[in-house]
Amino acid sequence: MDFEPQYTPEQEEFRQEVKSWMKENMPPGIVHPADPIDLTEEQYQLRREFGRRLGAKGWLWSTASPEYGGGGLDVDHAVVLEEEAEAAGLTIPPFYDSGGRLGGASIVVWGSEEQKKFFLPPIFTGEVRTWQLLSEPEAGSDLANVKSTAVKDGDDYIINGQKVYVGSSLGCDYMWTLTVTDTEAKRHENLGWFMIPSTLPGITVQPMDLLISGGESGAGSGVKNTVFFDNVRVPAFNLIGGHNEGWKVATTHLELEHGTGGKISRNPVVDRLFDYCRTTNRRGQPITKDEDAREKLIDVHIEQEIVRLFQLRNYWMRHSGISTTYEGPQASYMRKTLGLKMSRHILDILGPAALTFDPELGASEGHMEAHSRAGIVAIHPGGTTDIQKVIMSRRIGIGREVKEKAGALG
Amino acid sequence: MDLSLTPEQEMLKTAVRSFVHQEYPKETLLQIASPTEISPEEPWEQLTKTGWLGILIPTEYGGEGGSFTDAGVLFEELGRGPVPGPHISSAVVAALTLLEGATEEQKNEWLPRIASGEVRMVAAITEEEFGWLESDVQVTAEQTGGRLTLNGSKAYVFDGETATHLMCAVRSKNTNDVGLVIVPADSVGITIRHLPGFAWNQCAIDMEDVAADSTNVLGEELTGGWTALERASLKAIPVISAYQVGGSQAVYELSVDYSRTRHQFGTPIGRFQRVQDQIINLLNALDAARWTAYEALWKLDIGRDADDSVHLAKTVASEGYYEACNFAHEVHAGVGSMTEYGLTLHTTASRTLYNYLGDPKLHRRRLADALGL
Repeated sequence: MDFEPQYTPEQEEFRQEVKSWMKENMPPGIVHPADPIDLTEEQYQLRREFGRRLGAKGWLWSTASPEYGGGGLDVDHAVVLEEEAEAAGLTIPPFYDSGGRLGGASIVVWGSEEQKKFFLPPIFTGEVRTWQLLSEPEAGSDLANVKSTAVKDGDDYIINGQKVYVGSSLGCDYMWTLTVTDTEAKRHENLGWFMIPSTLPGITVQPMDLLISGGESGAGSGVKNTVFFDNVRVPAFNLIGGHNEGWKVATTHLELEHGTGGKISRNPVVDRLFDYCRTTNRRGQPITKDEDAREKLIDVHIEQEIVRLFQLRNYWMRHSGISTTYEGPQASYMRKTLGLKMSRHILDILGPAALTFDPELGASEGHMEAHSRAGIVAIHPGGTTDIQKVIMSRRIGIGREVKEKAGALG
Repeated sequence: MDLSLTPEQEMLKTAVRSFVHQEYPKETLLQIASPTEISPEEPWEQLTKTGWLGILIPTEYGGEGGSFTDAGVLFEELGRGPVPGPHISSAVVAALTLLEGATEEQKNEWLPRIASGEVRMVAAITEEEFGWLESDVQVTAEQTGGRLTLNGSKAYVFDGETATHLMCAVRSKNTNDVGLVIVPADSVGITIRHLPGFAWNQCAIDMEDVAADSTNVLGEELTGGWTALERASLKAIPVISAYQVGGSQAVYELSVDYSRTRHQFGTPIGRFQRVQDQIINLLNALDAARWTAYEALWKLDIGRDADDSVHLAKTVASEGYYEACNFAHEVHAGVGSMTEYGLTLHTTASRTLYNYLGDPKLHRRRLADALGL
C-alpha cells in the first residue's frame, strides 16, 4: 500500500513548472471571506480570470479529455496541481462551478458527440461558469419528484417551473436542470436533462435568505437563489441523453456529488481551529493546554482523519478505475456528520466567541462563527445524511439479495 | 498512491483465510472458548507449521522478514476468527521488544524459537491498579551480584496462561530502574490464575522469590528495558488494530447476512431503516478502523514517524471493534446472545483488546502529545 502519491522526477519537474506558472499567472489580491456571501464582484472576476488562465493551459479540468478542452493529464499530475493550488490557498476551480465536476461529467457520459464538442470546451477551459438546478419546493430528498416541465414544441422545448437552493452570487453562463418531459410516463422514465444558456428570456434569478450557503466544494458559493422558468424556449439540441432519459443522466452527477469523486486536500476549518487554539491564550496559556479543550480537539482530529482517509480512498478508487458501491455516500455522510459535530465542538472550546464575527471578540477572523452556521446547513446539499444512509444501505444490500448499482461515471 | 494489497499479500490473505476456515471453524473456536471443554491442541500446532509466527522476525533470526503491512494482512484474517493467541503477544509484542532491546545473543536464543512456535513468550506488564505506564510497575527485582529475585503480582495479563515464557516488567529494588526479565512460565515461585467471566484469555500471575540472572534480563540490564517495550508497542499496536479490523469485518458480514435471512413482520429485517442504521454505523466504524490501521502500518513500513497514526489507529480500532459488536447485537437481538451462534466470541475479544496495550483514553492523550497540542 501507498497512501500518498509517489512523486517521480517528472512530477517534481511538473511541480516546478506549476509553481512558477502560478507565480506569474495568479492574479494578486485574492482574499477569502469567512462567509462566502461577502465575495465581491471584483474578487469573483479575479478568480474567473485565474480560472480562464488555468483553462487555457489545460489545468482547470486537468484530467478531462483534451479533445473537449481538458488537460488530458493523469491523476499524478492532477494531484500536483491540486496541492499547488491548495498551497496558494485556492481550490481548482477557484470559484463555485457545477459544470466541470458534475454537469460536464454527465455530458461526457451521456451526450452525443456533437453535444460534447459544443458544450464541454467552454466548461473545461473556464470560459463559462455553470450552475446546477435540481431541488424544487416539492422535490428535495425525492429529486425524481420534480414538477417543472419541458414540453416539446417543434425543434424546441418550453420549460416552466421553479428551482431552489441554486448556484451562487454573481450569476452564471449556463444552467443544467432536470424537468418532467412526459407527465404520463412512469417515475424515473419521465424526465429530461437540459443544458440551458442563462441569458434566455423568461429566466428570473432571485436570491434566497438562508442561514448560510452550504456548498459541497471548497469554493464558497455565496448566496443561493430561487430560479423561475417562465415559458423558456430551449432548443432540443440542449437535451442531453434523450427524451425521458434524464434520470439516468442525473445518476452520474448524483454519484459524484455523493462524494465518490473523493479529494485529497485538507479541511481548512479544522486547520484554522487548531491554529487558533495553538496561538490564542486563555487564562495565561494556549487553549490547547486546557484539558477540556484538548479532549475536544482530539475528537475533531480523529474524526477529520477518518473523513480524510475515506476521501483519499474514494479518490484513489475513482482515479484507478475501481468501481465503488457504498463508498461515495459513506464519505459524504461522515463529512457532513463531522461538520455538524464540529459546530458543537467549536462552541464548547471557544464559548460565545464561536458565535460572532466581531473583529475583537470573534475568533479566527469570523471563520469559527461561519462554521457554526455552515456545519448545520451543509448536512443537506447533495442529499441529507439520512439519504446518504439510504443509498449506502441499498448499495450494500442490507435486507436485499440484489444490490443497487452505483451511477455510471465513465 | 496505491491502496491495494500486493499480489503476494492477496495470496497471503487467501491462504490465511482458508487456514482459519479449516483449522479454526466456529465449533473449534467455541470449544477453545468454553470454560468446561478441553481445548484441542491440533489447530495451534498447525499454525506453528505455517511459519506465520515469524512474519515480523528477520530471516537472520529464523523468521520471514515480512513488512508491517504483511503482518496486518495476516492478523486481520486471524482476527476474523477470532483465532485465539498467543500469536500477537508472542510473535508481535514479545518479538518486537526483543528486536528493540535484546543483546545479539538473546535475539539468537529466542527469536528463532518464537518464529517456530516452540517458545510462546508473553509480556506481563499490568498490575492490580491496571496501567500501561512505567510508573505503574511495582513488581520488584532485587539484584544481588548477577542474581535477581522477583516478587509481586501481575494482573490482567493477556494470553499469560498459554505462555511458555513470561517477559515481566519489574522495578529494581536497588536502582528503581524498570526493565524486562524473561523467565519460564513454570519457574519455581510462579502461580498463574485464570480470570473467570467476560475477560478474554486473561490471568493473574503471582511471583514469589522467582530466581533469574542477568542473562534473563532484556539487554542484560534493567535500564532501557522499558524504553524497548514502548518502542516495540508503537510498532505492535497497528498490527493489533488490524486484528480488530478483522473481527469487525466478521461481525459486519454476519449482520448483513442476518439482515437478509431473518424475517419479521413478513419481510427481511434489513428492510427496516432502524436496522439499516445499525449496520451502516457498524460499517463506518469498520472502515474507519481499517484505513487508520493500514495507514499506520504503511508509515511504519516506509520508516516515517508514525506516532500520531499509531495512537489514532488503536483508538479508532478499539472503539470500532467494541461498537461493531454492539451494533451487531442490536441487529441480532436474542440470536446474537446465543453462544453457539458465534457473535459473542467477538464481543468477548473486543472488550479485552479494548484495553490491551492501552485503552482509547490513554491513546487519545498520547495522540494529543504526538500532535504537539
